[in-house]
Amino acid sequence: MDNAFIESFLSSFDDSCFPEDFLKAYEPMECLSYNQMGETLLVRDRKTGQYFAAKCYTDQSLVSRTTESELLKDLHHDGLPAFIGEYQKGGSLYVVREYAEGLPLDQFARENPLSVSQVISIIVQLCDILSYLHGHTPPIIHRDIKPQNIIIDNNGKIKLIDFGISRVFDKEAKADTVFFGTQEFSPPEQYGFSQTDCRSDIFSLGVVLCWLLTGETNKDIAAGRIQNRQLARIVRRCTAFAPKDRYADAGTVKKVLMRAHPQVQKRNCIISAATGAAVLAFCIAGGIWLHNYNSREIFTEDHIPAFITSEDLILESVLYLNEKYDTDLFSDGRDAANMGYVRQLLFKVFGYSEEYAYAMPPDDPPYPHENENNFFPWGLPEDESVVKEIMAYTAVKIFWPEVVADWSSLKDDNGYYPGVRVAMDFCRKHNILKGINRPDHLTFGDVAVILANADKEKEAMK
Amino acid sequence: MAQQNGKNTGTSTLLRRLFKAPDLERFLEGNSTEMEIPLFHNYITELCRTMGQVPERVIKMASIERTYGHQLFNGTRKPSRDKVIQLAFGFGLSVDEAQKLLKVAQKSLLYPKIKRDAVILYCLNNQKSIIETQSVLETLGLTLIGGEEKNG
Repeated sequence: MDNAFIESFLSSFDDSCFPEDFLKAYEPMECLSYNQMGETLLVRDRKTGQYFAAKCYTDQSLVSRTTESELLKDLHHDGLPAFIGEYQKGGSLYVVREYAEGLPLDQFARENPLSVSQVISIIVQLCDILSYLHGHTPPIIHRDIKPQNIIIDNNGKIKLIDFGISRVFDKEAKADTVFFGTQEFSPPEQYGFSQTDCRSDIFSLGVVLCWLLTGETNKDIAAGRIQNRQLARIVRRCTAFAPKDRYADAGTVKKVLMRAHPQVQKRNCIISAATGAAVLAFCIAGGIWLHNYNSREIFTEDHIPAFITSEDLILESVLYLNEKYDTDLFSDGRDAANMGYVRQLLFKVFGYSEEYAYAMPPDDPPYPHENENNFFPWGLPEDESVVKEIMAYTAVKIFWPEVVADWSSLKDDNGYYPGVRVAMDFCRKHNILKGINRPDHLTFGDVAVILANADKEKEAMK
Repeated sequence: MAQQNGKNTGTSTLLRRLFKAPDLERFLEGNSTEMEIPLFHNYITELCRTMGQVPERVIKMASIERTYGHQLFNGTRKPSRDKVIQLAFGFGLSVDEAQKLLKVAQKSLLYPKIKRDAVILYCLNNQKSIIETQSVLETLGLTLIGGEEKNG
């Protein structure tokens, strides 16, 4: 290529608007979006080749008093982009943050029809992020929650981006002075009716939920289209005109959302039917008081007996695993699981061959124990209940097979197989048995919690 | 810009209809087909037809690996932004046509404030080939087209 052509190009191009140290560190690659406040660029670290997002504010007078970089610096959450650095030139500010790999939720949802459980999983993650933001002192309000600002990756994990119009809640302020946000997703108070607070984000979350369920942002038009009545109620309450009529916090929205999950509703139907039949029988016997006894709140939320795993933790784990492995085999059932169920998970969910999952050692000792033909080195019958140690071994062998590979074929002096001891040590060290207080007779829900803990830990190690 | 197919309505016709329409809803209802973004592989196949080209040649001119290129044309693969830019060179598109191609692929448009994009725009405007464009990018120390995948 002749130099004249390049010189002619260079004479017509000017990138002096960018700070020099910014250009020295990063090569701008593409413009991801732009609006009246500035541009978001995809930039490439010149040294490492890693990609980041750089938000360029060309008019700082429009930026919240507490800027995006100030907010991001203090935030450390999986669902939020990490702050990398900031650069200034003249009146312009460049905030570099982690680049969230994936697709904006609006595009993702258009290309991949979402099931109700997938929608719930997305909104539950959003609730977790909002609980984190709102839990700050003073609370951080995002103020622009919409599908375009939610990036979803191939594993269904979301990241909330764009803190350009976020603000810190100011108790003294009466109303927001400048309107920002996206009309369809913004609450009435963002138009100046009153000051925005955490419930403004709850409103937007409700509109996103409504849009994911129906493709419609107008809750009145969408009302008849949401078949799940509980979800319809959640949308209605999140998007109430007056902030006082909305859910007070994202944690509560998460709780009610989990109860609206199709699996939970199915379970509740069975429980209700069984309870109804029992009540009828008692009534016939004249034992009316038994009805009251039967339907009382046995345990309040804050009083979970030591041996019961938290219902929220179970639901969260079940949703996480069913979404991730695209299955409905994980269950929040309170009945005791057995080894037959664990083996089913091995070959139906985790891809082991049926022969490997079911192989039993020979009847007579010495057992061959761990080898390429079996998952469990012991003769564990199908109907045997699941003990914590075996579940720890299972989880470690699925996610970190190298940890138990060399240990499982030997029996130590205590009668334990070292593989189990090694697995238990590993699980304790990595919090994989977190929330499991029951030593044996683990329920379906307990199994899900252990495997979800292990799966998340494995993801975190990557 | 080459029409997507014979039945397509031009932008000016759509604008005329919009100004004459009694209300926006009725306009949107009546013209929804024309306003939808076509599927990328359908669009480039149609582009080949209207420009009298064959995919084989476009893929070659775009310096895209042959199998990969055909997968883009039959819709089994989705292109990255750089692959779309390569195709724009393969087709010999103008700046406006290249921007339309990026839009159909739902990728960020070329942005003149970004030096790398500005080089690409300048080269498209001057009917340079993909190889000539890569040479300019290399001389200026910029990332080559198709050179890097995002975060590994």
